[in-house]
Amino acid sequence: MTVINELTLVVSTNFSPTPGPRKILEGKFSGEEFRESCLEPKLKEAIEKNTKLLIDLDGTAGFGTSFLEEAFGGLIRINKYSYEEILNHIELKSVEEDYLIDDIKWYLKDAANK
Amino acid sequence: MKKFFTGVDYKSFNQKRSEDRNIRRLAHKKWKTTKLRLELGLAQEEIKEKKSFKNKYPNYVKVIAPEVFSFIKNTNEVIELIEHLKKLYDSNQKVYVVLEHVKETDYSAIVVLLSIMVKFKTKNIDFNGSIPSENEPRQMLEQSGFFKNLYKKFTEHDSYDISTIGPNGIHTHAAKKVDSALSSQIITSATKYIWGEARRCQGVQRVLIELMQNTNNHAEIGKLGEKHWWLSVNQDKNSKKVSFSFVDFGVGIFTNLAYKPTESKFYGWVQKLSSKIQYGNNADLLELILKGELHRTVTGEHYRGKGLPGIAEVMRRNQISNLHIITNDVFCCASNGIYRTLSNSFSGTFVYWELGEDNDSHKRVNTSSID
Repeated sequence: MTVINELTLVVSTNFSPTPGPRKILEGKFSGEEFRESCLEPKLKEAIEKNTKLLIDLDGTAGFGTSFLEEAFGGLIRINKYSYEEILNHIELKSVEEDYLIDDIKWYLKDAANK
Repeated sequence: MKKFFTGVDYKSFNQKRSEDRNIRRLAHKKWKTTKLRLELGLAQEEIKEKKSFKNKYPNYVKVIAPEVFSFIKNTNEVIELIEHLKKLYDSNQKVYVVLEHVKETDYSAIVVLLSIMVKFKTKNIDFNGSIPSENEPRQMLEQSGFFKNLYKKFTEHDSYDISTIGPNGIHTHAAKKVDSALSSQIITSATKYIWGEARRCQGVQRVLIELMQNTNNHAEIGKLGEKHWWLSVNQDKNSKKVSFSFVDFGVGIFTNLAYKPTESKFYGWVQKLSSKIQYGNNADLLELILKGELHRTVTGEHYRGKGLPGIAEVMRRNQISNLHIITNDVFCCASNGIYRTLSNSFSGTFVYWELGEDNDSHKRVNTSSID
């Protein structure tokens, strides 16, 4: 699949420099909130425009694993996107914490396998 | 007159009076025996002191803090103290913690003491304590805000902030929810002390979020956001180090594991694990958890940085140092590979670590955005 142009989502500036817990109930800046307010609408736009969404994870205070799992795994579990659809339309950037990219891909795979 | 003393009324009155006197006499005898037994071998001065304490603090129960008042160095005795205080809290007993014999203390015990004090005060149970005679522990306790808050009133809140401002400030925070903005602020002030500038430490942030999330989700079986987490942060005046002491008084890691619900990935973990790996006790089990072996064996998947193994991974990445964990009957110094079974069991989870110049950090991209 060829994709043109690129949309960008910088977590630290478009959402919060201090990403928090998994669920909205558990505290501010949760993965659930991020998915609902930023990630899913942007991904939807990217799919509609057939472009890639570049998600920049650098510049934050740090991520809890539950935030990432809920945000990305939730796209499959809650928003019912397919694993392939997501992989075709997102690109992850994490220079400061390179392991986050593998972790997110794994969360997506895990959610797809359930 | 003779008729009066031999009358039925008088005889019954006399009988009752004699019985009452006997009861009083026996009660007094019992009290005297106990008193003498308690005073046996005590110097007159001590007896006097006891009496004056009783007059000054009536109905208080004296609890003596150990000489080495450190959760890390003297775990068993501090657990004993916590469990004793817990029993007194449950029975609404007023408490006086004797701290004057404390020769050595550190922040691992101070966070515990502060949290217990607030717990008593929110339940309106009097809580008091003496000042350590030794200079160093006295200063440390003063800086922690313990004495400053002893006479304050506390009401039940979702979060508390006990801070003292000074060159060697100890700040204690408590909450029920995950507060990533607060943890980021704490890291900012820690890094300013260590490196002289605000930096980001994603490893410390991850540890704090994972621990807060664990308290919120698992401290009480089947209930969310029931227990407070407590965090004390101290800037070490002798070295460019900041220590973090995190505690919750939940059920602890192993009790939580024992009650995994049927829908959990970890349900039936004992059978799954013991069929593949031999382990002797909870100390061995904690080692397996931190290495990610429990997760891998039970779920057949990699743990991907989640929970406790994720915290150990942060240490292996050199994002934190000197990681200690105390939970239920296990003491662990993960940095040195020490896993020990304790003779007393702590109902809760305690985690201690340090951040210093040798640990990884990232320069701030935009100093105004993360605060």
